[in-house]
Amino acid sequence: MRDAAVIEVENLTKRYGSVTAVDSVSFSVREGEVFGFLGPNGAGKTTTISILSCLVRPTSGTARICGVDVVRNSLAARSKIGVVPQEIALYGTLSARDNLVFWGRMYGLPDRVLMPRVDELLEVVGLTERSGGRVDTFSGGMKRRINIAIGLLHRPTVLFLDEPTVGIDPQTRRSILELVRTLNEEGLTILYTTHYLEGAEFLCDRIGIMDVGRLIAVGTKRELIESIGATDLVRISAKGLTTSLVSEIEELEPVERLTHTDDRVVVNAMSGSNLLPVVVDVLTRGGATVVSADVTEPNLESVFLHMTGKFLEEPEGGTESDAQA
Amino acid sequence: MRALHIALKDLRIKLADRNTLVLMLLMPVVLTAIMGFAFGSDSGISEVRLAVVGPEKGSLLADGAATLLNRIDIFEAEVATEEEAREAVSSGRLSAAIALPPGILDAVVGGDPVEIRVLKDPASSIKAGIAESMVEQFAGFASAGGILGRGIYETIDGDAPMTDAERLGLAGWMFDWMRDAWSEPPIAIESADQEVRRIDVRSYFAPSLAIFFLLFTMIGSAKSLHEEREAGTLGRLRSAPISDASIVAGKLLGTYLLAVVQLLGLLALAALLFGVSWGSSPTAVVVMALVTAAGAAAIATVIAAATRTGRQTEQVGTIAVLVMSAVGGSMWPVTEKLEPVARFTFNYWAQRGFNQLVLYDAGFEGITQPLLITGLIAAVAFALAVALLARAQTQ
Repeated sequence: MRDAAVIEVENLTKRYGSVTAVDSVSFSVREGEVFGFLGPNGAGKTTTISILSCLVRPTSGTARICGVDVVRNSLAARSKIGVVPQEIALYGTLSARDNLVFWGRMYGLPDRVLMPRVDELLEVVGLTERSGGRVDTFSGGMKRRINIAIGLLHRPTVLFLDEPTVGIDPQTRRSILELVRTLNEEGLTILYTTHYLEGAEFLCDRIGIMDVGRLIAVGTKRELIESIGATDLVRISAKGLTTSLVSEIEELEPVERLTHTDDRVVVNAMSGSNLLPVVVDVLTRGGATVVSADVTEPNLESVFLHMTGKFLEEPEGGTESDAQA
Repeated sequence: MRALHIALKDLRIKLADRNTLVLMLLMPVVLTAIMGFAFGSDSGISEVRLAVVGPEKGSLLADGAATLLNRIDIFEAEVATEEEAREAVSSGRLSAAIALPPGILDAVVGGDPVEIRVLKDPASSIKAGIAESMVEQFAGFASAGGILGRGIYETIDGDAPMTDAERLGLAGWMFDWMRDAWSEPPIAIESADQEVRRIDVRSYFAPSLAIFFLLFTMIGSAKSLHEEREAGTLGRLRSAPISDASIVAGKLLGTYLLAVVQLLGLLALAALLFGVSWGSSPTAVVVMALVTAAGAAAIATVIAAATRTGRQTEQVGTIAVLVMSAVGGSMWPVTEKLEPVARFTFNYWAQRGFNQLVLYDAGFEGITQPLLITGLIAAVAFALAVALLARAQTQ
């Protein structure tokens, strides 16, 4: 990884009427880095990536790709980026090869360059055998891989991956993450948005946590965890959870922070494994039935929960109360 | 160049779609065949039986007009009062009645606009519509012939007042002139044998249904703008190093190419399957088809650009196509009452151009007006489509 900034964003803001989708976001991405945007749906990740892809004009602020302003010189900026949108942006009735050839032509690649590149990418994404098949007959994972291959056709300096693993099974998700890591190891700079922890933790050198349009923290995984104090996460699902039981748990000595829904309690504590049996005992005595319980060491979800008071992969339904101010 | 790739990609996708092909080619052909079977024996219409109603009973004018009409093979005309004519038309014995207004002879001889009422039974609209259309053609020729005839008469006889016999004689001369002016018999009046000439309904419906279904196909094609937006491919196109103008040009060109393929395909199929003759000027037919295709593609793109989703495009487009086709003559011949409104529709002018070629073999000269007006509609719609699309891209 080198120090030159490939993406530079300063005070980027996008408003739609009274709604602020992106609110004064600033960050930079270095050459060869995988930078992840982590946040729930509606956090502003896709709007940010859409501005960087020259699809949406910002209300204010600046964004540069390799020093090229995405608003003032969008054609030049677009030639430096590869975009893999969240949707399967392919023509379903065309074959995988024909899709690649069409998009290669859109990037202005002459046939003598394009045709070998198409063969090469089909090989990279493991679809050489199926290259003549109609895309709408492919599985979700195969479509995702072609979707990524299109973003690589013109050998971009930066690849934008917007939720590339949405809606696919864990095994395929893993193979796509490994493909992205290989691309990065070959030198490609990647801006990756996700609301899945697995992808962010597996791929990203640095992570930006976004919520309601704001970039609330940026750093490596270790830096982010350290910034909130290294507490364990105790998660318990229970039937018959009442407000009084939640309050009782909240008052236990080691509890630093508690978040709950109607049937779930998540507690930050220094020694989660010691706390768990105590919490289960409180619940059982109070008439609740414990359905599941686990303790995890601090991770990005803990960070997200600490910083936003929300569950990352369950954006709705959570309420928060802090055990300690 | 990238616009061309976008256009060819769109064309390829559409032509690979079985539903599109059915709508484009099969439906118009099947419907044309059904119309042929439904509205005439041996898929044609034999002579049109008419009554001529004079300004007063036993008028010399009505007798003369019936005699003149009977000189044309397609018509079998008799003289009747308005009451007799109405009864004969409603009973189906006659296809239509032509009511000559008082002062018509003066108007014809004076070269003034000629207005002839056609009485018809709405239930038998095809033959009556054809009769009406023929009468309209004759009225146009009569006005032109009147000016010419009057000029010749005044050259010979100075300012002397004309007697009724002289005026009728002049009218007869004009009628002969009019018939001669139709140097080739109208294509619609085709000879089944030496004795009977017939109008083939399919010669009327082949172009009208082609235009009708062309518009429908174009709506389906133009809505791909929204489909691409919804699928994310439009966003992907816009994030590639390609200008918005090229994307718009590519989408328009793709729709236009599809229109050309469909229209030329339908004209060829009508000729091959139904023996429809498109006249002796293939160039005129192709130019008329290219301009008509441009108009249909541009109108459909305007509708797509003015709506927000593919579903909206389909709904608004369907209503627009049905209204334009009903008013403009793609479903049935344009009636006298509807004509002032029909003139504002794309279908009317496109259909008129093809009718001139298929019914009268009018060549380039005969399609100048419909060609220019269809082209004008295409140009205005194209400009509007580009403006709307450009606005949508910047939002």
